Amino acid sequence: MSDKRKSPLKTALHGMDERAYKMMAMYLQGPCKGAAVVVEDLKAEIDIIDADSVKAKTLLKQRLTESARPIIALSLQELTFENIFYVKKPVKTSDLLFALSEARAILSVKKKSDNQVNSCTQNTASRQSQNPVTKPESLLSPEKDPVKKQATKTDEQKKASKHQTAMQLDEGKFNAFIGSVPGLDVNDPKQFPDAAYNPKDYFQGYVQSALMVAEAKKQVMRLNSGWKPLIIFPHNHEIWLDADDKQLRAFAGVGMNKISGPGMTLTPEESITASVQESLEKVHDQDAFLWKLAAWTSKGRYPGALDIYRPVFLKHWPNFTRLVVTPHALRISALLMASPRTLPEIAEVLKIKPQYVFVFISSAYALGLIGQAKREADEIVQPSVVKKTEQQGLLSRIIGKLRANKS
Amino acid sequence: MSHYKIIFTGPVGAGKTTAIESISDIAPIKTDASASDMTKTKKSSTTVAMDYGIMNLTGGEKIHLYGTPGQERFDFMWDILTTGGIGLILLLDNTRADPFQDMKFFLDSFQQFIAETNVAIGVTQMDLSNKPTINDYHTQLQGMGIKPPVFSVDARVKNDVSLLVQSLLYSLDPGIEA
Repeated sequence: MSDKRKSPLKTALHGMDERAYKMMAMYLQGPCKGAAVVVEDLKAEIDIIDADSVKAKTLLKQRLTESARPIIALSLQELTFENIFYVKKPVKTSDLLFALSEARAILSVKKKSDNQVNSCTQNTASRQSQNPVTKPESLLSPEKDPVKKQATKTDEQKKASKHQTAMQLDEGKFNAFIGSVPGLDVNDPKQFPDAAYNPKDYFQGYVQSALMVAEAKKQVMRLNSGWKPLIIFPHNHEIWLDADDKQLRAFAGVGMNKISGPGMTLTPEESITASVQESLEKVHDQDAFLWKLAAWTSKGRYPGALDIYRPVFLKHWPNFTRLVVTPHALRISALLMASPRTLPEIAEVLKIKPQYVFVFISSAYALGLIGQAKREADEIVQPSVVKKTEQQGLLSRIIGKLRANKS
Repeated sequence: MSHYKIIFTGPVGAGKTTAIESISDIAPIKTDASASDMTKTKKSSTTVAMDYGIMNLTGGEKIHLYGTPGQERFDFMWDILTTGGIGLILLLDNTRADPFQDMKFFLDSFQQFIAETNVAIGVTQMDLSNKPTINDYHTQLQGMGIKPPVFSVDARVKNDVSLLVQSLLYSLDPGIEA
């Protein structure tokens, strides 16, 4: 039972998804009768870690080396780490309250000890305080991300761009939506060699590089392009951009020359401004963002890194309900899931314009879903013949009905 | 006239009834009852027999949409339902304790039907629980040796359900022209 005379222990939660995070916060407030309260990482006195989470090992290691705060680990397995209070899952209120009281006792001892040290070093500290204070290494590591901390189910649902359903383009809307490169007919096989583009020459390339860095460092990063700020949240797989689709589409097609390119900088995001937290509708799913950015950069061309005369394969179906569905994208996916094919071959088999194949391949390639057949066998083995099902007419009518009814 | 069917399956609360409602031309015939035992924590009513909807095609043909009851004790009905089916839509609730276990259960249960036709998987409630991710599902499926479409789906949104069904049909024959 909690002692109401004592103030609640300020607790940071780690290794929990939004649901578990919210649930634990409510559990501490409810069944644990406010013995602890969840606060931002920097204000916390103790840490509670879900030791069964994917990154638990790293988290525990990091906490043990970087912080002197008491740690409570929740786990299905019995843990034998030193200096960690272990609470077995499913968590019992009495067990957690006991661990919290132990943590409080340690804090109390530590406080007394610190007071003694402080009285001895007061003069030194006073001198040091006149020097610039070094900022904590990262205010926004995934577990410290204020946006994530404050995220609730409602916040997640506020991310309208992230959860909006797919826009399904038909052939009629394609050119107006995707755009084209003046003087280039990407559907003319003679012009195929000129229909390649290099994502690195455009905003797309910089965004892709920034995503890789943010992912590798597991750190919130800001890409400064001299245009609109773009913030990457690697832990949530999200991007925040203060621009609408129309603005992004226009900027995607602008080549980054040697003058504008070096102006791009990627910096760790030290603090999230209120404007970002208040405009969750500008949060995009990373894949959905990159998919459309690649489509707009491509303008119907294909990535130059691919040899279009060698078969390509699709690693798995794209999550089409959250992507811009370009014409015939579902058919191309189904075909490539059956066997690898060259780009012109896909257009030929499906009897569609090459630009639809190229734009799909550009987007899927940006997401890392396309691979080029490298083994000799992939080129020697003839791709399977597309068998026409007996029910093709019926299936076609069902699809016609579904597409006509979309809303 | 032939009896063409698309089967919707998945655990309790995954959105089968709602998905059928999204694309049916008639008000779906529901056979819900007050939830009890294992389902009562998920929703107030649940499907105890099956859901039924219809898509009317040009030329007078009808596609029958059947939703299997989500409770495992009704699995004896599944064989009867799938006979003559075009393909399977599997809906999974991402907020359930172990969606991968659900997926394996239903893929195993409908193994023969899937082998004869195809399956497309829709993951619902991803706005409430974003883990596991769609990529996590693909990783699991890779271990099971199949590569079906897996989309995040809001069963209330017609376009989401429509795209999922389209992917199933294109998987059966990429040559279909709408």
